[in-house]
Amino acid sequence: MSLIVVGLNHKTAPVEIRERLAFNSKERIREALKYLTQNEEISETVIFSTCNRVEIYAYDNDNNKPLEEIIKNFLSDFHQIERKTFEKYLYIYEEKEAVEHLFKVTSSLDSMIVGEPQITGQVKESYEIALAEKTTSLILNHLMKRALFTAKRVRNETRIAENPVSVSYAAIGLIKKVFHDLSKKSILLVGAGEMAELAMRHLIGGGIKNVYLTNRTYERAVELAEKFSGYAVNFENLKEVLSKVDIVICSTGAPSYIITDKMMKEVMQERKHKPIFLIDISVPRNIDPLCNEIDNIYLYNIDDLQNVVDSNILERQKEANKALDIVKEESEKFSLWLNSLQSVPVIISIRNKAEQIRQEEIEKFRSKFKDLPPDILNSIDYLTQSIINKIMHSPTVALKNNFDDKETLIFAARRLFGIENDEE
Amino acid sequence: MGTIFFELALTLYFAGFLLSMAGIFRKKDDFDKSVLVVSFSGFALHTLYLIIRYIKSSQAPVFSMHEATSFFTWSIMITSIWLWFSYKGKILNFSVIIIFLFMFISAFFSRNIPLIKPELKSIWIDMHALMAVFGIALFSLAFVFSILYLIHEKAIKNKKFGGIGNILPSLEVLDKINYRLIFWGFPIYTIALLVGLVKYLNILGFLFDPKEIWSFLTWVVYLSIFYLRIKGDWRKKKAAYLTIFAFLLVIFGFFGINLLTESFHKPL
Repeated sequence: MSLIVVGLNHKTAPVEIRERLAFNSKERIREALKYLTQNEEISETVIFSTCNRVEIYAYDNDNNKPLEEIIKNFLSDFHQIERKTFEKYLYIYEEKEAVEHLFKVTSSLDSMIVGEPQITGQVKESYEIALAEKTTSLILNHLMKRALFTAKRVRNETRIAENPVSVSYAAIGLIKKVFHDLSKKSILLVGAGEMAELAMRHLIGGGIKNVYLTNRTYERAVELAEKFSGYAVNFENLKEVLSKVDIVICSTGAPSYIITDKMMKEVMQERKHKPIFLIDISVPRNIDPLCNEIDNIYLYNIDDLQNVVDSNILERQKEANKALDIVKEESEKFSLWLNSLQSVPVIISIRNKAEQIRQEEIEKFRSKFKDLPPDILNSIDYLTQSIINKIMHSPTVALKNNFDDKETLIFAARRLFGIENDEE
Repeated sequence: MGTIFFELALTLYFAGFLLSMAGIFRKKDDFDKSVLVVSFSGFALHTLYLIIRYIKSSQAPVFSMHEATSFFTWSIMITSIWLWFSYKGKILNFSVIIIFLFMFISAFFSRNIPLIKPELKSIWIDMHALMAVFGIALFSLAFVFSILYLIHEKAIKNKKFGGIGNILPSLEVLDKINYRLIFWGFPIYTIALLVGLVKYLNILGFLFDPKEIWSFLTWVVYLSIFYLRIKGDWRKKKAAYLTIFAFLLVIFGFFGINLLTESFHKPL
């Protein structure tokens, strides 16, 4: 039995290599799976490719075949790239280490941003492609399911994905500390800019419906209003809008404060001191920091947001250690399961079980017919033993033979004879 | 005897207390369901205990120290359940901790049925006492949520997070809860005082009881909070500070007046 993963990721390989080895579409992965399973040595395989990593998991029930070589050659042939160009960037894990690696990857412990949730979905997708192409069977099916289960446990039992680690998500997190139901809130974007638009997009995704946009050039505001299906507001009316909205994102190229504390004091009177959340992501700053001193105004600038992100990243690192324990536990379980698919222990357990049943039945028989002479009892003992041997003969032979689907057979035998799995 | 229900409720609240504590220290929420189950069952038994006691003694179960604390606990519990239905989250996890502590205190007082003056045995006096305690329970919760509001507000303003700030609901929710507590607490407390006043004049003639004067003072402070809230001014911090101040008056009214003066309001 051998399980192997050959791969490379953002830590081991530069982007020039990663992009050459990547499988860029589902179609490419399908092709690759077909190509790879042409090798008889590989009985099961899953290919996993994202912008940060390429990994090939393979399983073979025959020992001593150099799966590593086969996969390296495959990468070289399939991508038309010489082996020595990429070989030194690869990592190779086998057996237990491969299991642990996959569990870590799926649980997002190996990601560039630890705890980011997309990776689990990507693993699932890759597995589904392999499943559809029928390149997986008992072992990899179980392995992938356990990997996804482990990811779920990590997500539920640790706080690894709890705190946002990107500036725009951090902003949403902060806004949610002040406001409860975002769908009832309104937002104003002053100016434009990539980061501001990204934050807007996240907030609209978070449920905000009332969107106002303003810009020094009104045409630009109209343009953005179309983009976000919001209302364009004339820049001169800034103060009026400020007294209406709940959240403001400010990102202009203005060299000085366009929202001053004097202005905000008046605005607060106007809005009866209803709380307002101001986000200033422009450099130089466009909102006077003194505004934060006014009651019910919460002002965050780009550095404040970055600080929140930094402390969240630290928090995640701590949680990653807890997650690692879960990964270890789960990969241990998987290894036990894998071991249970060896034929000898199964044969022994089935025989033990049969023998146990025989002993119990003989005991019952003896207590029922106490006066039987010993030679008859001996004959019964012999008779029952040979029945068991006869019945057990063909399953034993079948299990000992090296079929292609040996694991499936062993798995079935465990089920049929009701042998407890060590895993449960 | 009915006290068995008290013991059972106390035990269940204790279980809820332990489970909540375990949840907080382990930073996990796998016990949350169990916390709900034991809290709800504890509450059901507690209710049963109060009803049995009410029927048996044919007077409201609020006149002795034991009864007053136990009914106060019950009021906090029913309010927490109400809030939990509206906002879910970890409200019950926290309140069951406080609830157990109060219930534990009430277990130390004598459980004999107090003998009240026969002329005070009336449905009106029962109503007065029950509503006053219930109103104060709502005010105590408003006090707790006001403190939480101020802590959370400060954290957001100063951009320093961590600890309790991570599990608290949004400022908007904390404020809404405060609003609702005062919105219900104030009228209930007002009716309690009015009924008390009328009965008091009726039965005892015109007398000035220190507790009564103090209660009126407290009532005026709550009136101003109520007014501020209803008016729709959004300066929540002001309301939160006032709520804290008002509650300190209530506490003094409860302990200070009872211990320092000879009021007939002294629990039996």
